Amino acid sequence: MRLGLGRSPQRRREAALAAAPPGPLRDYLSAPFVGPGTRLDELPLLALDVETTGLDVERDRVLAVGWVPVDGRSIDLSGAGRRVLGVRMEVGQSATVHGLTDDAIARGDVPVTVLAEILRVLRGRVLLAHHAAIEIGFLDAACRRVWGAPFVTPAVDTLALQRRVLAGRLEAHPELHPGELRLWAARERYGLPRYRAHEPLTDALACAELYLAQTSELSRRARKPLSLKTIQHT
Amino acid sequence: MVDVELAEVADFLAEHAPFDALPERVRRTLPARMAVRYHRRGTSLMAVGVDNHDLMVVRSGAIEIRDADGGLVNRGAEGTTAGSTTLVGGNPSRFDVVAIEDTLALHLPGAVFHELSSEYPDFADHFDAERADRLRSAASATMTNAAGEAILRTSAGDLVRRPPVTVPPHVTIADAAVVMTDEGISSLLVVEGREVIGILTDRDLRRRVVAAGVDPAGPVSSVMTADPVVAPAEASALELLMTMTERAVHHLPVVDGGQPVGVVTTTDLMRLERVNVVHIVGDITKQREVAGVVALARRTPRLVEQLVGQDVGAADITRVVTTVGDAVERRLIALAEERLAARGHGSPPRYCWMVLGSRARHEQALGSDQDHAVIIADDAPEGAEEYIAALADEVVAGLEAAGYPRCSGDVMASNPRWRQRLTGWRREYRRWITAPVPDAVLQASIFFDSRPLLGDESLHARLAEDITQLAPGGSNFLAHLGKEAVSNEPPLGFFRGFVLAKAGEHKDTLDLKRGGVGSIVDVARVHALRTGLVSVNTRSRLLAAGRTGSLSPSLAASLVDALDFITHVRLVHQAAQAASGSRPDSRVRPSDLSAFEQRSLREAFHVIRSAQQALVHSDPSVRYS
Repeated sequence: MRLGLGRSPQRRREAALAAAPPGPLRDYLSAPFVGPGTRLDELPLLALDVETTGLDVERDRVLAVGWVPVDGRSIDLSGAGRRVLGVRMEVGQSATVHGLTDDAIARGDVPVTVLAEILRVLRGRVLLAHHAAIEIGFLDAACRRVWGAPFVTPAVDTLALQRRVLAGRLEAHPELHPGELRLWAARERYGLPRYRAHEPLTDALACAELYLAQTSELSRRARKPLSLKTIQHT
Repeated sequence: MVDVELAEVADFLAEHAPFDALPERVRRTLPARMAVRYHRRGTSLMAVGVDNHDLMVVRSGAIEIRDADGGLVNRGAEGTTAGSTTLVGGNPSRFDVVAIEDTLALHLPGAVFHELSSEYPDFADHFDAERADRLRSAASATMTNAAGEAILRTSAGDLVRRPPVTVPPHVTIADAAVVMTDEGISSLLVVEGREVIGILTDRDLRRRVVAAGVDPAGPVSSVMTADPVVAPAEASALELLMTMTERAVHHLPVVDGGQPVGVVTTTDLMRLERVNVVHIVGDITKQREVAGVVALARRTPRLVEQLVGQDVGAADITRVVTTVGDAVERRLIALAEERLAARGHGSPPRYCWMVLGSRARHEQALGSDQDHAVIIADDAPEGAEEYIAALADEVVAGLEAAGYPRCSGDVMASNPRWRQRLTGWRREYRRWITAPVPDAVLQASIFFDSRPLLGDESLHARLAEDITQLAPGGSNFLAHLGKEAVSNEPPLGFFRGFVLAKAGEHKDTLDLKRGGVGSIVDVARVHALRTGLVSVNTRSRLLAAGRTGSLSPSLAASLVDALDFITHVRLVHQAAQAASGSRPDSRVRPSDLSAFEQRSLREAFHVIRSAQQALVHSDPSVRYS
């Protein structure tokens, strides 16, 4: 994945901005990113989840996307969104995971329109996802295909946060099972409600709720207000 | 295609009042008008004196609502709402709402709440009713504090209203009467140095002085009641009541460290009389017929139900059940003695009736078996065994009628083996401790939780002395008990679930006794016997083990909490069973428990497992079987 690792999101944003043609990506990149010193109580995020035909960002496509904004300690359900994309591609076996049929896809929105909408709602916010590399990878591949420029965003990954939460308790959990990091296992630890998986808006909400629980736990341990810098995914 | 339906949230609302009463099309639009917030355990969602603008609905976790005086108003998990009082009645809040576990809450803005209330009367009615309920329970919580909990929590020391008025023994009767009149009191303590040697009451002046024509110029010591019954300052009001009714006295001097601190009268106790416990225990003591005792004993489940409803702690409730059980058993024994005398069996020999197991530990729940035994004095006349046999048969039958089933292991005084002379008992205990046979120790463990109930307590004291001296040195014996204590694994499954019975009449149920309360009791007993501790109460045993270092203090405290919580769940379950007419047991269905209760139970079982592991580590001879 070409994420330009090693440079700050701000610097990468400036580089990408120089390469982006006028249009939705350029508009998105021209807004400054949330500063790393922003306290979690004031941090605007957008929990995002994509359902895809597979995991290869070059060959596979995003079929559906769900999002919900998080403003500091509060999830704003009024900003929640869900789109199915009308990709010209057979869904095949992946339908067994996400439940989207070829008929549903055929009635879907134009992919570029949805991509532009995501960039609009994400503007000024930090991307929040469980295993964020997937969402970032697919958005990046799409932006490169459409506008020939990379997608850049500050991000928080609840999977990485869960690793930190559990690592803080090593005495009690000498072995960390990979399964413990999965979204639904992580939620169960906090007693969060059980949801049906693989519906993008539900997954985005599930991720947002998990984030509130995790940062609440990390703040308690830190005994001081945390900022984006301390939880940012790099 | 535009689709922002938050199905998970809408489905949740559809399952909970009053949202379930809204038309579906309205309900489906609600999630998008809400916010979701996470409240850490112990943090406040709303506070007295602070403005609130949302209706909060618990999505997961649990909250507690308390009034300004700290009285518990409501406690609830998923679906519980809070905040309607300020939205309807105005700010600021008169209640504190605190997350008692990590809580995810849906926040509905006040404007949406008002819109729904005006359009859908059912929605508004729900909150009107809830607020009325809340105020009523807030009021009754205050009453509970004044009466219900008072009897359980109040100690003799708390009841003392003024320092005692005392006179030395050489004061004249006339002067003593003047003191009583001046002070406006109905009793006077006679002290020598700092020790209470007698008590003089109004009644004594009437009967022993005036009616008997005694010269009031004589010393008060000539008409006082010498060596009166006294109560320690830490005795509970309930225990005072028991003592007063049994000894037929109306004044009890209260002593602290040997010195008098005041006098408690029956009138002081009557101020607490609204409590049913007092009535039941008092009434049992007055019964002249077995049928009367049985009828009163049958009220115990209803009593437990009330106490559970009043949020009285589990340890206090089991203490009440024990006290009622004690009163029933004592009264049945006394009535049996009367009937034996009437049938020509003569007067009873010197003996001590002891209770065993949960009753002895003051931890009786509903549905417990009867467990008792009798120590006959060595100098009792020949035929004492036959007398006790006849007595025991009557008592066992009476207890059974009163709702205490016969002991399935036949540990009852009606079994010849469990009515022995003191020498026989001492031999028996010595054998259990010094030459233990594993199976015998298992069966005998109940005898290490014993308490004298009636008769000559010195007989029991002699046995207790033997136990405290012998047990710490009985390493094999302790190893057997330790092994037993770790043999019942808490019913925890692999993936944080519970291990449930797979088949039979108990299918899908969780045993709160085996691996739960029972395991805590077993662990506490080993620690106590190891150090020669006298107390048989599990909580006292654990706290003492924490103090002596036999058990880590934090683990000891956690075990006490675990015992309280599991007992609480068990009592709630039993009270419900009794109310529906079925026989109380200790098997619950996890699906009947709230998520909060399930998680807390799992936590409690984890604590038990840690305690079992600590026991194995502390004694190399204790092994899992």
